[in-house]
Amino acid sequence: MVDVSSAVLTAEMIQASQAGLKAVGAGLAVGLAGIGTGLGEMGIGAAAMGATAENRDMFGLALLFTVIPETIVIFGLVVALLLLFS
Amino acid sequence: MADVTTGPAPYIYVSTRLRVRKAKLLRAEDYLRMLNMSLPEITRYIEELEYKTEIDELSPSFSGVDLLEVALSWNLAKEYQNVLALTPGAMTGFTAAYLRRWDIANVLTILRGRTQGFKPGKIKEVLIPAGSLDRTALDRVVAEESPDRIAEALRGTRLYPVVERELPAAVESGSFARLENELYKQYYAELIKQARAGIKGGNEFLQYIQLEIDITNMQNLWRLRAGGAVEEIRDYMIPGGRIPIEELARLGSAESVDEIVDSLKKRTNLAPLQEAIEELRSGISVRQIESRLTRFKLAQMDRMSRRYPFSISPVLVYLERKRYEVYNLRAIARGKAANLAPERIQEYLVI
Repeated sequence: MVDVSSAVLTAEMIQASQAGLKAVGAGLAVGLAGIGTGLGEMGIGAAAMGATAENRDMFGLALLFTVIPETIVIFGLVVALLLLFS
Repeated sequence: MADVTTGPAPYIYVSTRLRVRKAKLLRAEDYLRMLNMSLPEITRYIEELEYKTEIDELSPSFSGVDLLEVALSWNLAKEYQNVLALTPGAMTGFTAAYLRRWDIANVLTILRGRTQGFKPGKIKEVLIPAGSLDRTALDRVVAEESPDRIAEALRGTRLYPVVERELPAAVESGSFARLENELYKQYYAELIKQARAGIKGGNEFLQYIQLEIDITNMQNLWRLRAGGAVEEIRDYMIPGGRIPIEELARLGSAESVDEIVDSLKKRTNLAPLQEAIEELRSGISVRQIESRLTRFKLAQMDRMSRRYPFSISPVLVYLERKRYEVYNLRAIARGKAANLAPERIQEYLVI
């Protein structure tokens, strides 16, 4: 049996768990931002498809509007990169 | 490919498409400009719009005002079928139920036309196959000689039970009014059921249906009263509106116009409707009041579609607006063919 109360955290263990938590944070930053972007693009994308189906000239503008929520996932990516490499 | 029928995306897609189409419809100033054109000019003008295919297709067989009229009907039918094809999931059922009103109109046109001895070809020109009965189905029905055979040809459709029940009496009396009314009762009952089936914007639309039923009932009340058919009022009222049928039947036998106006006004809190009812007192023509009520209904629908932008409302607004565009163009064409003054034609337009 291992006695938990007398277990000692070594410096290596602390460093390893710090790196692990950073990776989890980076993953959450990109993942959650991606979900938010997806939700945002759902409505815009559906409307863009509708508008383009009726009027081909709308395609460029519709595409532009559809990718605007992509900025959110870019923020997430920036935060993730800062976490991992700073 | 899996159909995406849940979540807001299908509503957003369809609403946007139909909103774009609605923006392409003719505006009030276009109609006013057309009032000052000659018939060939009008034909050329609308050929440049959405009606080109139909006019090109039909120009070898028709000319003048007939060409315009048939092209408009064909376009309307095509457009409605197209809308039906692009509405997904639960919206299709509701839109189809809403469009079934055209089936009723078509079947009655056939019944009336055939009993009055019109040729199938002539009747076909005025049919608008925008409902669930398409052109082939209607062709089959219109080819039948007698009312009984026409009813038989409708077997399997939703209209059949009502037509079968009411037809013998209608043939005997020579009037299809009761049959028509029974069909509309069935239509509204079904529409109410569909609106309650959990579609987005269904509850709001239910209020609109109730308003429409009330207005129809009021119009029928007025007409039946003018025709002296007070005893029949109860039979002709459509259930489902906000004004109870008992009250309408009671009002039908009321002596004075004032009493009717006062009680009807109490039943609604919509100012434009109250005003229209008030006009009954001054004795202006029923047609004028009716076109006012139509405009009011359209405005009410517009308001609903703005309040609930991604629901069934924009679809229905487009269907109604399109219907009145065709109605207006037809009024202008017919008016021009009859050499009416532009001001006279303008009275008939729903702008």
